[in-house]
Amino acid sequence: MSSQPNLRALYTELIRSFTSQPCDLKKCGTLLSQLKIGLIEAGLLLPQGELNPTDLQVARDILEIGAFCSIRARDVPSFDRYFSQLQTFYTDYSSVLPPSKREYPIRGLHLIRLLTQNRIAEFHTTLESLPLSADAIAKNQFISHPVNLERWLMEGSYSKVWNAREEAPAEEYKFFVDSLMGTIRNEIASCGEAAYERLPLKDAATLLFFPNRSDLLRFAEERGWQVNLTEGTISFTKKGEEKMEIPKQKLISASLAYARELEQII
Amino acid sequence: MADVEMRKQDEKKEEEKKEENKTPPPPPTPLAEIKANVALIDKAVSTLEPRFTHRVLRSLTALRKRTDVTVLRNAVEDIYPKESATKKSLLSWLPGSSDSAASMDIDPKPTTLEPVPEVEIYLRLLTTYILLSSSEGYAKALQLAKETGEKISQLNRRSMDPIAAKVWYAVDRAYELGGDLADARPLLLSAQRTASLRHDDESQAALINCLLRNYIHYSLFDQADKLVSKTTFPTSASNGQFARYHYYLGRIKVVQLNYSEAHRNLQQAIRRAPQPRTAPGFYQAVHKFFIVVELLMGDIPDRSLFRHPVLEKALIAYFDIVKAVRTGSLSQFQSTLSKHTSTFTLDKTYTLILRLRQNVIKTGIRRLSLSYSRISLRDICHKLHLDSEEDAEYIVGKAIRDGVIEGRIVHENGWMECAGQKGGYGPEVSDIYGRRIAFCLDLHNQSVKAMRYPLNAHRKELAAAEGAREREKELAKEIQEGELDDEDLGGDF
Repeated sequence: MSSQPNLRALYTELIRSFTSQPCDLKKCGTLLSQLKIGLIEAGLLLPQGELNPTDLQVARDILEIGAFCSIRARDVPSFDRYFSQLQTFYTDYSSVLPPSKREYPIRGLHLIRLLTQNRIAEFHTTLESLPLSADAIAKNQFISHPVNLERWLMEGSYSKVWNAREEAPAEEYKFFVDSLMGTIRNEIASCGEAAYERLPLKDAATLLFFPNRSDLLRFAEERGWQVNLTEGTISFTKKGEEKMEIPKQKLISASLAYARELEQII
Repeated sequence: MADVEMRKQDEKKEEEKKEENKTPPPPPTPLAEIKANVALIDKAVSTLEPRFTHRVLRSLTALRKRTDVTVLRNAVEDIYPKESATKKSLLSWLPGSSDSAASMDIDPKPTTLEPVPEVEIYLRLLTTYILLSSSEGYAKALQLAKETGEKISQLNRRSMDPIAAKVWYAVDRAYELGGDLADARPLLLSAQRTASLRHDDESQAALINCLLRNYIHYSLFDQADKLVSKTTFPTSASNGQFARYHYYLGRIKVVQLNYSEAHRNLQQAIRRAPQPRTAPGFYQAVHKFFIVVELLMGDIPDRSLFRHPVLEKALIAYFDIVKAVRTGSLSQFQSTLSKHTSTFTLDKTYTLILRLRQNVIKTGIRRLSLSYSRISLRDICHKLHLDSEEDAEYIVGKAIRDGVIEGRIVHENGWMECAGQKGGYGPEVSDIYGRRIAFCLDLHNQSVKAMRYPLNAHRKELAAAEGAREREKELAKEIQEGELDDEDLGGDF
């Protein structure tokens, strides 16, 4: 990169506009696309082989800023792209480069993102491949936040998730809070459908963390609940009750398969 | 008919083997054994019967422990003719050229024939293992193993495949002991490609396992999963390789929360693994994961498992965890977890066991739902050591939705009402029955497929059939001629 003074200038400009308050997202975006072209020309976007560590570090910085910018711009697919590009820097070049202070926030963001989309299997795969010991995970606030969230979600301690939404370790984490709340609301609703026969409106609002009644009513309508306004209750229609049907097709095909196999043996 | 004969032969062989094992008539010296093995390899190559090679390789583990540099040196001296380039290259790899060794073979047998290349590779393999037995030899062993690998791919002989598989394993081992396992990946990957192109099933199986081991060692489950989905594990692979493969698959699956698949794979690994006494390490490692997976699935492993002589000591920590999960006590679970943290981290099961927390809660709720027909949320919270009543309500709700318990929450009164257990009859029963039948049928079909027929046995039958046809023809001819004769005679009359 030292051979390209143009890139260097763009890079310093990017840092300036990224750190300025408030962050100039539009400018960052245009600068980033220029910088990415530059990186491709310098062979640094997807590095291979031995390269100059300082160049790699700059490339990593650019991508990290890009990842943060795309979260701020609420462009999740773009964040995914930056993250997968950064993987190379975090895993393959970890021995060459000094550790980045933005590495764990970004990894944590990625974990939260998997969590909000209910991609639990990927969440755990990513977690296992983190180069951290179990203790270090508990101590690293960027990682322990999503890990705790996942545990609470799996357990069903939704109120803890709700309370933790303000304790995000970095500003960017809050961008995911809304979709996370949507996820848990749906979870609670489906639990409620199974667990309750009817529920007073007031309690339903607290259970589902709705601040006012109109939001609750809209939500109830979406889920198809029967709201009795005079009594102030919601009743859940029990579905799946008395649906004991004998799967004829399956039984017949199974019996036929047994007969065929038996014939083969004899 | 052929089957029965075959079985008899096999039995005989097994008996012979058993006798050998039981009363070891003064065990052959390593030197004699190496020579016998070389003869066997030679036989295998000339008769195109890989069985003999397999027999040689079976004794590899036992043999390499008894062999040392001098023995190997003498073996090389004896096997190869005096002026042989292969001999020189083999000897150059053996460390410490002591004079005593050289003087021992003053009059070597006048072997003039150069043995088959398989023998050379076999001796190289032994040399690699000897080098690997001491830490100074690692670098050299790696170099030798790599060179041997290249040699194998140049020679490209199908009769070499079983030995090649072992060599690749040695390559991987050399890298691992040398401490830079990650560097082995490109080499192993390209070797895997070559092996699959040449339909070299044995090497392919060994290489896939090496790669999986490599990825999982660095917790790269994503890559390991991709490797599994992109390759097909050869069905003709040996049981040992299959056991390893299933173990690695199980480990990948459990990380991805696919517990039932993981359970199946680990069970296969246990079934296919060698006897617990011969390979205790593998047996213990598989069982550690197996127990955790069973717990994660909500089952409690058998008590007898923890009394098994091989497993008893290794599984103490896991036994404690099982006890905690069984009683459904969160506080006991936490204390056990912190007591055995180092063990679990070492076994790489720590993160998996952390996931058990929710199972502990579920077991607790299930126990409560069985013993009470109505219980207040406050009591649940108290008994399960939960943080707040609010949490208890959500947790119970989730348990009901997930089908852990049957019941409902009455919010106004703040209690949970438990419904009675459903009878054990329904479509699920036939499902389980169907699965078991399918397993038995599959087992039967597999065992039919696994029967071995003697090579070229059908030729004999063919020859017999040919003979019979021949005779028939002659007979027909004779009859025809006879008829003609008769006619002739008749004509005469």
